Amino acid sequence: MDTLRLLGRKIVRARELGPLVGLVVMLSIFQAINPLFFTPNEMTGLTTIAASVGIVGVGVTFLMIAGEFDLSVGAMYALTPIVMGKLLTTFGWNEWLSFAAAMLLAVAIGFLNGLVTLRLGIPSFITTLGTLFIVNGMNLLLTSGQQVEYYGTSTLFPILGGQLGSSPFYAALIWMVVITAVFWFVLERTRYGNWTFAAGGRGGIARAVGVPVTRVKNINFCITAALAGFAGCTEFGYLGSVSSGQGTQMELYAIVVAVVGGTSLFGITGTIIGTFIGALLLGTLETGLVLIGAPGSLYTSLIGLILIIAVIINVRLDRLYTLRMRRAPK
Amino acid sequence: MSDAVTPATASSAASAVAAQAPVIELRDVCKDYGNTRVLYDVNLSIMPGEVVGLVGDNGAGKSTLLKIITGYHLPSAGAVYLAGRPVRFSSPAEARAVGIETVYQDLAIINELSLWRNFFMGKELRRNLGPLRMLDIPRMRQICNEELSKLGLTRFRSPDEPAASLSGGERQSVAITRAMYFGARLLLLDEPTAALSVRETRNVLASIDTARGQGLGIVYIDHNMAHVHPVADRVVLIEHGRVAATLKRGDVSVAELSDLVARTHPGQVQ
Repeated sequence: MDTLRLLGRKIVRARELGPLVGLVVMLSIFQAINPLFFTPNEMTGLTTIAASVGIVGVGVTFLMIAGEFDLSVGAMYALTPIVMGKLLTTFGWNEWLSFAAAMLLAVAIGFLNGLVTLRLGIPSFITTLGTLFIVNGMNLLLTSGQQVEYYGTSTLFPILGGQLGSSPFYAALIWMVVITAVFWFVLERTRYGNWTFAAGGRGGIARAVGVPVTRVKNINFCITAALAGFAGCTEFGYLGSVSSGQGTQMELYAIVVAVVGGTSLFGITGTIIGTFIGALLLGTLETGLVLIGAPGSLYTSLIGLILIIAVIINVRLDRLYTLRMRRAPK
Repeated sequence: MSDAVTPATASSAASAVAAQAPVIELRDVCKDYGNTRVLYDVNLSIMPGEVVGLVGDNGAGKSTLLKIITGYHLPSAGAVYLAGRPVRFSSPAEARAVGIETVYQDLAIINELSLWRNFFMGKELRRNLGPLRMLDIPRMRQICNEELSKLGLTRFRSPDEPAASLSGGERQSVAITRAMYFGARLLLLDEPTAALSVRETRNVLASIDTARGQGLGIVYIDHNMAHVHPVADRVVLIEHGRVAATLKRGDVSVAELSDLVARTHPGQVQ
């Protein structure tokens, strides 16, 4: 009985519950309005949208839990595949080497974001806003407004973004699932994850008990930039081309999926699974609205609405929960 | 003052002698910030199982003294002895490694995290999963459950609950219990009851009592004599960077203490 009550409380408190309910409701509505919703075509759209924003969102979630932001992920989402494509086409590098070099650059930029933020004491919101503009400029410079294309034979591109057999799904979906699983494990089941939570807490406590807060945050900046870059590469692998405009506003969508999934803007609270669900929710909304013939502009407005509702629910739940705990000791 | 054991005998003798040595001893410790001297020849020793109250007004030098003991600062002159051996801490981590733990009023527990995560933060237990090392959550939950159940906290239900579900005093008690569990020898409490109700204060004092019973040396820092008096075996009054008075338990009544505080701090009336 007591175990059951504890389990019940655990489920109700789970941050993932809200977005999951939202997702199911949304799927049901779209399916009810248009029975064509659960068709291969729509599932392709839904999952590719969800996969790219989901992979970026996992990184952003990890960083937000540690109490920092990264607004440059959208720019990194373009820069990494652009650099990869340039090395591959203009410089004729091996595809694996091009990919590795581009990813290394992404990690390096993430590291610099962390360095400037943590060592010089600049809010990460500002640091990475600066990086967003700098990298966007680099993207324009590198592409000169042209698309970077690669349609040659490749083993890497199908791995990054190819179709999975004759299924309606593409590789990015697998990557999203794998990355979600890996980072769920790291966050919830490793010491590093424990330190990531602690790093997001009010200043001083984590340090006072010996957690290397600066190092943890800096590594998380690298992870976030790397995942954004990787997600961009999966889209390159899927399309075979990349432009400087790829990933525009991705930084905002990534924060949306994290927050809708239950991650707090103030650090420490958040879940990787929630972000995964948030990404699916975003993908569902976009494909679903197109399918029921709603005007495309509605999508953007609805995202804003859902974001605000999600935060209201989360804040209310938190307050309700804390109050109940305080009022009713056993 | 109990300066019974010299460092020479303590370091050469076995642990039996070491047990009688002060957990920590400061000898003629001075501290200068630039040209300003903030501590003058401070002598202070804390025996195992002894609670020493460190009382003084803001700016009297308490915090500097605390920072020297916890390894944030090195003394400008004089020496610090740990169980009879001279030590020079170059970092707080070094001091913590030898069992000097500080429980700060508001910097001990992360409210949003579960109790077991808090209890083991920075000292996580891990087990191998193939080539990976993962948290040993079942063991940490179990130990946390055992240790906190002993405290008799009314609000404690499960180690999975967030620390926010406990009251402020209970969180202090958890922090003290954690320090004891991880083998602290010296516990420094910085105004542990400043923001607490009377009942809550009683809980924290009970935890301090338990820690004393287990042979820890305890430094209880506060600016208010009345907070320290009920639990301290000895009260050391710091004033203008000097030890102004040392009072043993039973030497003085609360009234006399208050007189002393009123004399030394005319602004502070009990």
